[in-house]
Amino acid sequence: MTDDFAIRTEGLTKFYGDRRGIEGLDLEVRAGEVMGFLGPNGAGKTTSIRLLLDFLRPTRGHATVLGLDPRRDRASLHRRIGYLPGELAFPGRGRADDLLRFFADARGGVAWTHVTELAARLDVDLSRPVHAMSKGNKQKVGLVQAFMHRPALLILDEPTSGLDPLMQQEFLAMVRDARTDGQTVFMSSHVLAEVQHTADRVAIVRDGRLAAVERVESLGRRAVRTVEIHFADPVAPDEFAVLPGVSDVVVSGPVLTCTVDGRLDPLIKVAARHEVVDLLSAEPDLEETFLSYYYHSEGAGDAARTGA
Amino acid sequence: MLPALVRKTWRDDRRTVIGWAAGVAVFTTVYSGFYASFQGVADVKQDALPQNVLDFLGVADLISPAGYLQASVFSLLGPLLLLMCAVTLTARTIAVPEEAGAMELLMAVPLSRTTFAGQRLAAAGTVITLVAALPWAVLLIVIPIVGMDIPLSHVSAACAGLIALVWCFTGIAFLTGAATGRRGTVLAVTGAIAVATYMAHALSDVVDGVHWVRWLSPFHYFIGTDPLHTGWHPAELSVLVAVGAVTAAAGVLLFDRRDVGV
Repeated sequence: MTDDFAIRTEGLTKFYGDRRGIEGLDLEVRAGEVMGFLGPNGAGKTTSIRLLLDFLRPTRGHATVLGLDPRRDRASLHRRIGYLPGELAFPGRGRADDLLRFFADARGGVAWTHVTELAARLDVDLSRPVHAMSKGNKQKVGLVQAFMHRPALLILDEPTSGLDPLMQQEFLAMVRDARTDGQTVFMSSHVLAEVQHTADRVAIVRDGRLAAVERVESLGRRAVRTVEIHFADPVAPDEFAVLPGVSDVVVSGPVLTCTVDGRLDPLIKVAARHEVVDLLSAEPDLEETFLSYYYHSEGAGDAARTGA
Repeated sequence: MLPALVRKTWRDDRRTVIGWAAGVAVFTTVYSGFYASFQGVADVKQDALPQNVLDFLGVADLISPAGYLQASVFSLLGPLLLLMCAVTLTARTIAVPEEAGAMELLMAVPLSRTTFAGQRLAAAGTVITLVAALPWAVLLIVIPIVGMDIPLSHVSAACAGLIALVWCFTGIAFLTGAATGRRGTVLAVTGAIAVATYMAHALSDVVDGVHWVRWLSPFHYFIGTDPLHTGWHPAELSVLVAVGAVTAAAGVLLFDRRDVGV
């Protein structure tokens, strides 16, 4: 039973004194899937991850990782986990390849060709000292470290932070390759777009609680976006406010802004009756609309929406 | 082959260790080697100081080889240097990387918490012991050359005491770091204990009625037995080793129980 799940938590809770880190987290990550772990900063993502890796001890609840207990089986577990911390700081002042050799030795040997392959893929020079590297290059060394021993489970905390767009794409390709090889990937992010193209499912945390677990396909349909249309002439708001999925309609002269939940088609059809000068559609923004949508639908009330 | 974490610890510490080792070796060589030139003026200096001041400074007499070594190497500067070295290196096992945020990667190695803490301590403890053994090595060479008239077994007893003292404070520093993960706390707690117990040892000879306080001081077990005149005192040295071992073990246990890097 436990073998079907790479990660399984039951009521996992962590308080730092009175401050809530995460509360009542029930999460199941299936073996072989890529799961995105989404939420705004401070939602409890890093706390959850640190609980899985035995850096923190739960106040209540329990976690099982690869069928093992994070604390009791720490040694054997970490041999099979690749972990990228959210805030990278490297021990020592040596060269990147010295550091990676340490990880290789500690993990009982790693094919060095695989290390150089990963480094080439991410375009990072391993002969340089890590402490002198840019944030992006440090992140790359951190990624090489996490992937180098082909672990059964990759736990990556904000893996793309500091990477330029090209490298983000390369990283996402690495994640897809990992899935092809049967590895499980659990990666946190506060950017929806980043996990949208790679993850099978996403878990969304908000204010220390799990708000939803969704298949990625269903996300696009639910995505809320803001649309701004510039017309040649002033338009009437009523014409648009009645459309299905359209809300928050504001018209100032010839400029219309609104929020669209779901398909854009009805709005576009109506807009086409007028002369359109410009049309802007903002990417669904997790922080402001997507999460508040879930939070709202969980029955937390309008206060949550404005507080988003 | 040695565990990867032990080798990594040595590698990261090597500059610090080389610095301290050089300092301790030079200090011991210069001070002990200076005996020949010092002998002549010692009489004058000793006369200039009242006996209770000499007691407080931990100096019995300045003229005999034992008195000179006690005053120069063993009473204050030697222990001070070695304890600073030990506390610095011990703080680097857990507290320093934890404060720097480097613990998450360091602990990504597949080891249990207790093994991790044990290997860090073993790695640091080994080099600390080597540095603490340097005065021993230097004195065994310098004393015959300078021609000091003192049994080498007495010198060895005092040097072994120095190592035992360092182990005692290494244990205390490790316990503090493993329990709190804070470098400042390690330095403050260990430093305060060292200063307080040093003064307790020194004052118990000078001030009437507080003679018993010496039993609380690691410095009493190290040098209060006057090893340079009287030789080996295994029971006293065992006390120091036991305190070091118990505090170190407590540190490993506490590290296994707490949150890391919060």
